[in-house]
Amino acid sequence: MDRRNFLKAAAIACTAAIPAKDLKANEKFKIDEDRVGVLVDTTICIGCRNCEWACKKAHNLSTEPLEKYSNREVFENKRRPNNKALTVVNQFYNPKNSQLPIDVKVQCMHCDEPACVSACIVHAITKHKEGPVTWDSTMCIGCRYCMVACPFQIPAFEYDKALQPKIMKCDFCIDRQKEGKLPACVEICPTETLTFGKRKDLIEIARDRIKRKPNRYSNHILGEHEVGGTSWLYLAGQDFSKLDFPKLVSDPAPGVTESIQHGIFAYFIPPIALYALLGGIMWINKNKSGEE
Amino acid sequence: MKKLSSLLLINLFLISSLFAQQNVEPKHFQQQIDCKTCHKCDVPTKDDPCLIACPRVKMLKTYPSPESSPSVLIIKKLEDRYNPVVFSHRIHAQMSELSGGCETCHHYNTLGPILSCNECHSIKRLRDDVRNPDLKGAYHQQCITCHRQWNHKADCISCHELKKNGNKINIQQKIAEIGNKLHPKVKEPTKIVFETNYNKGKLVTFYHNDHTKIFGLDCVSCHKNDNCIFCHDKKDEINYKTLIYDKPIKLNLAESERHKMCSDCHKTSDCNLCHKEDIAKPFNHGISTCWALNNFHKQLTCIKCHKKNKFIKLNNQCISCHKDWTEGKFNHKITGLILDENHTDLDCSDCHINMEFIKKPTCDNCHDEKSFPKDKPGKLIKKVKP
Repeated sequence: MDRRNFLKAAAIACTAAIPAKDLKANEKFKIDEDRVGVLVDTTICIGCRNCEWACKKAHNLSTEPLEKYSNREVFENKRRPNNKALTVVNQFYNPKNSQLPIDVKVQCMHCDEPACVSACIVHAITKHKEGPVTWDSTMCIGCRYCMVACPFQIPAFEYDKALQPKIMKCDFCIDRQKEGKLPACVEICPTETLTFGKRKDLIEIARDRIKRKPNRYSNHILGEHEVGGTSWLYLAGQDFSKLDFPKLVSDPAPGVTESIQHGIFAYFIPPIALYALLGGIMWINKNKSGEE
Repeated sequence: MKKLSSLLLINLFLISSLFAQQNVEPKHFQQQIDCKTCHKCDVPTKDDPCLIACPRVKMLKTYPSPESSPSVLIIKKLEDRYNPVVFSHRIHAQMSELSGGCETCHHYNTLGPILSCNECHSIKRLRDDVRNPDLKGAYHQQCITCHRQWNHKADCISCHELKKNGNKINIQQKIAEIGNKLHPKVKEPTKIVFETNYNKGKLVTFYHNDHTKIFGLDCVSCHKNDNCIFCHDKKDEINYKTLIYDKPIKLNLAESERHKMCSDCHKTSDCNLCHKEDIAKPFNHGISTCWALNNFHKQLTCIKCHKKNKFIKLNNQCISCHKDWTEGKFNHKITGLILDENHTDLDCSDCHINMEFIKKPTCDNCHDEKSFPKDKPGKLIKKVKP
């Protein structure tokens, strides 16, 4: 085979291989119909913060004894989940009854179409078809794109660690779930503010609660549609923006970026078209200069 | 004779069975409840009642009185982890009378024996049907939602002692301590002064005793959904015996909720009807309507005249209420004065000018030097109030 034939064969092989590979990448990740979720009913939560303690215990994070968690002073400042606490409870004023403040647990929402997974360039974050979104220490390069991408600002970075810092976020107790146990926070919750079950069942339950007590609930299940749906769902007695939730559209967060990225390289047609166009211009110019 | 005795026996049997029937509650299938409320299938049988799990519709319910309810309940379904909770049931039942009654906790109960919580609320948290909270969740939702308003805490040890310390509580001693406790008799306030943010009238005075004694309202017509903090100020930790209405109070409720307490009955858009600069005076029919109530009218409840709770101005002619009243029918004796022979045949208007019975009767029409009450047209049998 001479050089010309080899190049020809290689070019054909490449063009044949590219669409096949592209098709594979485009094949939509199939999420489980029966994926699990948690319904957080903020009208029930009493702010005991037992979930914070249980979470730290389950993830081997250092923690004070449980009795210390009955301290109410922590509610004076609004807190965010960080590398030392993967879930926190914040307290808000209740305009309906000032004696009954609203307590809201915050953690990773485990989006159905997570922006962190899309942003991660090394596939260190995985969306499991059963629901959880988890982070893999062996893959992560520490770029922290996931932190920027997350619409709920959840992933936290261990800035205080020089060697092998981790991205820390709620992992939906995936290991406990595999053992047939409930997530630690759900298990300890004294009032079952956190209801664990199939996401589709939880949406039905949430709708039923709103229907039965329209005065108690605002007619909105946060997470049903937000950013394409989330595994964790919230019910509240008032507008979610007053409970420090970001205002989100129902389109998945990675939707725009991915459609641009994937669009540019879809089936390799746009690059080929671009080269063909440039080649055409060159050819016309060459012909023109030849005539002269 | 034999026939007679057998007849008597049958009669006796019939009568006794009649009495027995009166004592027994009507069977649930005799009541007007749609069978499908509770049963899934068309023909439920004793062996297969095909019951729906806890229907959440309004149903007929019966509850015993707090006094006949158990005084103490021991909650020990989760005894493996916690020491049993000694729950003072009776005092809670008694207090609940102003906050929705037994239904507050026993929210689903058909006719028949009181269901225990774990018949609907699963002991396991990890379960398939998560529509109802599990038992732990159900208990805590019931207890803590109230108690947290009362003491602003959400800790465990108010009720539990964790078992891990190896401590055991003396249940008998605890039962003896709280078993016979009852809420002291509720002292009814005369008036409650509410302090508001309304500039053109900061104070709203509510005469509690007027509403109960004059307007004839019973407690539960207003107190349907109260909890302890409605009357007790527990912000001041120790002194929960201070009742909030001893001084002007600010309500911790949303404006619409605050107004609703009055506006359910008093439908008005005039703010100053309730909001005043000073503490208002109690209701006086004479001052407010220029028609003082005397004698018999004083003893009436409002709705006797103001039908259907509409407190609009009524015609003050006697005949507007006393529909079948005619002069001939009237027996003057009930006023406390029996007319003598000379006066019985007179027209009412001869003494009561323009038939205005509130005013003092006049004697001028016939007599020159006589006047009531110095001279009387008959025999006084009781003192007539002016």
